Amino acid sequence: MKYLTTLLLFIFSFHINFSQNVTIESNLEGLVLEIGDSFTPESFVRNSDGTTRNCDVIIYYNKKGVFNVGGSIVQDPSTGKIIANEPGQHEVVAVCVDSKNNGNRLSQTFLVNVNFTKTKSISLDVETEIFSGSYIPFSYTAITEKGNNRNDIIVDITSSNSEVISVDSNNLLKGLKKGEATITVEYDGVKTSKKIKVKNSPVNSLEIEVSSGSVRTGDVVTMQAKIKDKKGNEISGLNPVFSFSGVSFDSSNSASGLIKDNKFVADIAGLYTLNATFGNITSSTKIKVVERDIKRDIVQLGTGNVFDKHTSDAWFFEGVDGKDYGVSGTFFDGLAYFWDVSDPKNIRKTDSIKVDARIVNDVKVSKDSKICVITKEGASNRKNGFVILDISNLNDVKILSEYTEGLTGGVHNVFIDNNHVYALNAFGNPAKFEVVNIEDPKNPKGVGKFELELGSAIHDIWIEDGIAYTSNWKDGLYIIDVGNGLAGGSPSNPVAVANYKYKTGGNHAAFPFRSKSTGKFYVVLGDEIFPDGVDFFAANETTGFLHFVDFTDLKNPKEVARFELPGYGSHNFWIEDDVVYAGMYNGGLRVIDVSGELLGDLYRQGREIAAFKTGSPNGFIPNNTMTWGTQYFKGNVFYSDFNAGIGALKLLDSKPDNSKSMQFTTDKSLNSLFGAKNILELFEILASPPIE
Amino acid sequence: MKKEFEKLFKSRYFKYILAFGIIKKIIIILLILIPLTNSSQNYYVYVASESDDTVSLLKFNNNKIDEVQRITVGTFPTEIEGPHGITIDPNGKFWYLSLAHGNPFGKLIKYSTETNMIVDETTLGLFPASMQISSVTGFLYCVNFNLHGSMKPSTVSVVDPVTMTEITKITTGSMPHGSRISPDGLFQYSVAMMSGELFEIDALGLKVNRVLNLENDMMDHKKMGHHNMKDSKEMMSNDNMKNKMSSMSEMKHSMVKPTWVIPHPTENSAYIAGNGSNEIIEVNLDKWMVSNRFKSGKGPYNLEISPNGKFLVGTIKSEGRTAIWNLNNKKLVADIKNTTSISHGIAISSDSKYAFISVEGIGGEPGIVDVISLESLDLVSSVEVGKQAGGIAFWKKEI
Repeated sequence: MKYLTTLLLFIFSFHINFSQNVTIESNLEGLVLEIGDSFTPESFVRNSDGTTRNCDVIIYYNKKGVFNVGGSIVQDPSTGKIIANEPGQHEVVAVCVDSKNNGNRLSQTFLVNVNFTKTKSISLDVETEIFSGSYIPFSYTAITEKGNNRNDIIVDITSSNSEVISVDSNNLLKGLKKGEATITVEYDGVKTSKKIKVKNSPVNSLEIEVSSGSVRTGDVVTMQAKIKDKKGNEISGLNPVFSFSGVSFDSSNSASGLIKDNKFVADIAGLYTLNATFGNITSSTKIKVVERDIKRDIVQLGTGNVFDKHTSDAWFFEGVDGKDYGVSGTFFDGLAYFWDVSDPKNIRKTDSIKVDARIVNDVKVSKDSKICVITKEGASNRKNGFVILDISNLNDVKILSEYTEGLTGGVHNVFIDNNHVYALNAFGNPAKFEVVNIEDPKNPKGVGKFELELGSAIHDIWIEDGIAYTSNWKDGLYIIDVGNGLAGGSPSNPVAVANYKYKTGGNHAAFPFRSKSTGKFYVVLGDEIFPDGVDFFAANETTGFLHFVDFTDLKNPKEVARFELPGYGSHNFWIEDDVVYAGMYNGGLRVIDVSGELLGDLYRQGREIAAFKTGSPNGFIPNNTMTWGTQYFKGNVFYSDFNAGIGALKLLDSKPDNSKSMQFTTDKSLNSLFGAKNILELFEILASPPIE
Repeated sequence: MKKEFEKLFKSRYFKYILAFGIIKKIIIILLILIPLTNSSQNYYVYVASESDDTVSLLKFNNNKIDEVQRITVGTFPTEIEGPHGITIDPNGKFWYLSLAHGNPFGKLIKYSTETNMIVDETTLGLFPASMQISSVTGFLYCVNFNLHGSMKPSTVSVVDPVTMTEITKITTGSMPHGSRISPDGLFQYSVAMMSGELFEIDALGLKVNRVLNLENDMMDHKKMGHHNMKDSKEMMSNDNMKNKMSSMSEMKHSMVKPTWVIPHPTENSAYIAGNGSNEIIEVNLDKWMVSNRFKSGKGPYNLEISPNGKFLVGTIKSEGRTAIWNLNNKKLVADIKNTTSISHGIAISSDSKYAFISVEGIGGEPGIVDVISLESLDLVSSVEVGKQAGGIAFWKKEI
């Protein structure tokens, strides 16, 4: 029995040995460092019975990984030596590789805190003279002993005289009455103060003026206020606050609009009251806003069907023979199609080109219509780039050359400008566009490139007047001088002029335009967002919208308006004569009035002129509109649809006939379904006695 | 305690238990073997399709291979992210996929084999490609092929797959490819395609251990003073190595263009695909020198050795063929035409019975996985998968 007990103990101890709770212990536990400190850890293994042993090899690493360590802590994996670069809490993982682990993983994560050094100084930036009744704008910066700026702190703010300047629960300052008060901000035992003089408001009267008292929805009204003192003299340099209220003409709707600076725009027709306020003085005026009333009919002239595969970008142009043509790319077998669109009612294929690629995403044609460039992605040899085609005879398109240098990762978009091809390498190192001279299209030569910061993205490019507009997803829009002279740029030396980022982070396309009606210069930035991802063989959800950014002052761009179609996203678009022709994916093709000054939500303002769903019952995905892009060309609106190929539409002068808007079905379907010529006949049929 | 154990081992109780244990084991083995004689085994393989952003889970039942599931991968919905390398965790619970394209860095994505859903991800280097996990460190070693731009030394990323953290990047040569771990789990091997070198990384020390120049004609490089790189057994510091390799790669364009290395499962040797020189290079890992070169077809690309050490299987990319050599005599025993063009990856079943070959195809053609029997040495089944089938990994054999 003794032996049996020993055997069971042996087996049991063996079992325990495998399941024991072995841990790594280290002086990393609870470690607190100051920025700039270095530390080499010492660690050992502790068994569950309390005994300890050294581990054969311990590998340490910062859990944020290699990519981030420059901004947090740097750690040598073999020694574990830490250099503290950034304040905050950092996770250090210690992995013990040891034959005694019986193949089990043994690791431990330790929290290491890196602190800011003590605050050395605080600076306070605030006006020293203000008027009573106004909030006081201010800012502060704390600087540590090691020179780090801190923007993560909440300081204590006090006023020496709260009857003159109050500090509310949000740490906002307001001048209450004439007098002086000292404002003090304090953090970490360091404080700074400024004396502020509050003067009585000189304003005795205020009178609001508007640019127009009767406008349409979407028309921008400029407001101004004449501010006068007791003597009736006008005071300049004071900024009143503008506000509005309104009542919709339609009792089922609510008045809505937007005020930005001194501009007002109404979304809904109604009677609006506009107010200007300074201190306790307010002036109001009323304006009448009527419907924009710009709807027009749009009809389909013809289609160039591609139902067996996806269609990507298309370009329409007048060929060297004077006839009108189009070219379109495809997914997924390296094909590009050429079309005769001279008669938009009878679009016919003239030729096709197949290249070693899975995707021909983009197609562009030179201004002289002799050269076409198509992009390559997914080449079997992984040398992607682009292909230059001779299209002087659209019935016999020929490959002239191929360019792959620096573009092997795949080219998604190109643009041709002044004998140069600008080709995007979205997955380059870093993301960039290559500039290739095609004066001799059989021997293209790389002449320059534009590289973004490492980690930045690039997706699309458009060039106008020697300026390139690149769309860069989360990195927004880049405006680059490639020959305009604005910043001394050239094709071989592109120079960045401006960058504009925005929150949705989905900048996919950009189109510059100067408003014919106002002279303002805008760049329209289109998102491309698939919230649920893309299924190439099923219908997809899309979101995102067109952002209208006022670039009249290149150094001070202002996003002023949006066109957002509820439930649908945006893709490629074209602007001609203050009209946007937008491919809104499953929202179809939308024609938008962008005349006049732009502000606010253009869709809600009733600026949509027409809409057309470009899908086909026989499409690659049947009845699934996915309008990829559009082009206004010779009075017609051409488009490509991801599931249906290409087509042409005509925007008519006539307004849509809404007389049948309440009819639940068409006469045609009544006839086919019930044998009734109209709704009255249907009721007669339904009221007839049953056949016995 | 020791005496007590000695008494225990000599006791009749222990003998009874031992005897009972042996009988029990025999019964269990019989229970396992009986169904095997009557039923077929199922083999499971994952394959990545680089131009479709999909991964296919395939099942082969000794007779026919079928696609069980096609999994969409990638995060940029409108752009091809190029799933390239794929490997299975030694515990079989996870599969890992390298996405070659990014902005600009590629990614490593961790999936559950149970659900084929994403578990976690981390950023790697430029164009991460092939990879494998060491059974000793548990870390994943992935080469960053860096297909983009000018040729310069790239890196091997070391990832802890438990936390999905990229621990470090180890600089190697220009266009590193073919990451494979030694059977003892202590070394990682990769070849640099453009600088024509074999790299051995200390899987524990996370540093380059040795570098071997694979060029057949060293004359030009000797003139340049690079010959001292050959046969170097010196443990170099990473910075030192980086500087030497940087200067070398700037000047050198490999004629061998090695694309793959596979260490032998039992012998201390490795085999390398000389994609540019159309040869297989055998390296003696003890002596750290090239011990043999033998001709392959045009453009050998990937290599694998059957777990029993008998066969070396190689894809002959440019010819769309798969070659099989008997490693006992280095003789070509089979040269099999693949079902479509551009033969790519190889995965061999754990029982050494089958080789699964991914074949890319061109343009709109689907990718294909061919199954080759390593017993009959012929192609036994094929299945279509997504376009440009590349990275392939054997998951499990199921009875």
